[in-house]
Amino acid sequence: MGLNVLVVDDSAVMRKMIIKVLRLCGLPLGEILEAGDGAEGLGVLDAQPVDLALVDINMPVMDGEEMIRRLREDPDKSALAVIVVSTEGSQARVHLLQEKGAAFVHKPFSPEDLKKTILSLVMGVSDEQEDGESAPQSGDLDF
Amino acid sequence: MSKKMGKALHKAAILTFEELGFLFATDDQYGEQEEGPSPAGEANISASVRFHGPLSGMLVVTASPDLLPAVAANMLGEEEIPSLAQQYDSLGEISNVICGNVLPAIAGTDKVFHIAAPVVAEGNYAEETEPAAAVHLGLEQGHADVLLFIRAEGSRRTSRAGTGR
Repeated sequence: MGLNVLVVDDSAVMRKMIIKVLRLCGLPLGEILEAGDGAEGLGVLDAQPVDLALVDINMPVMDGEEMIRRLREDPDKSALAVIVVSTEGSQARVHLLQEKGAAFVHKPFSPEDLKKTILSLVMGVSDEQEDGESAPQSGDLDF
Repeated sequence: MSKKMGKALHKAAILTFEELGFLFATDDQYGEQEEGPSPAGEANISASVRFHGPLSGMLVVTASPDLLPAVAANMLGEEEIPSLAQQYDSLGEISNVICGNVLPAIAGTDKVFHIAAPVVAEGNYAEETEPAAAVHLGLEQGHADVLLFIRAEGSRRTSRAGTGR
């Protein structure tokens, strides 16, 4: 089975950029779902569980911080792997998000930065391994 | 204009256009901004982002008409010209990222800011106040002006964005 991913960002162009990097990671991808804000993202997750969520912070309707807080309070979704992809510059807010188990990628990111964080979080692949070895093949994975 | 703010804005703008838009500066300067219509006579496009926190104000990015499709195509990794909505979205995201990077550089990473969603409109920014910092970037496929307005204590607003002139 492939990795089902949810990308939450109010910019459709940014969502496409992130999805493009996801496809470059060499991971066996299943369905890639999109949402334009945190509330929409939670709605998508109610309808279909995913293995990984990439979430922006500054969004209308419901921001990423609130979305992650609600995720962690929901027993069915609390263990979801989350990567925050944001311009957030406050170390205090970044630490709060990390305490909630989210990895953090700062915008602007290079495709390599995002790829490394995704591989590290999902596969436990370190920078050295990622640099020196090819990404695991789909047959090696079981999501 | 504060030298520190100018340098911080310059660095954030260059970094964002390079890493997000895959566009490199060919000629850039801070402290000056280009006046008047674009060389092609077409309307520029401006994206503005308001922010609140220890400092409040607005960041504005005005792109020349030739720059906009190039930025969007690079961000999307497409050779075809993206739709106008995608072009506007790209410029809005560029302004959002520059804003998110310049504020901690000016105020410190211990400060928390709230950044509103970008607003994109046709035209140059019609300033009623002097920007606290300004950068003009000559890029590979056009040019952009980046203006940072800091609202003075007690004033209700900076000025308006996206009005043609």
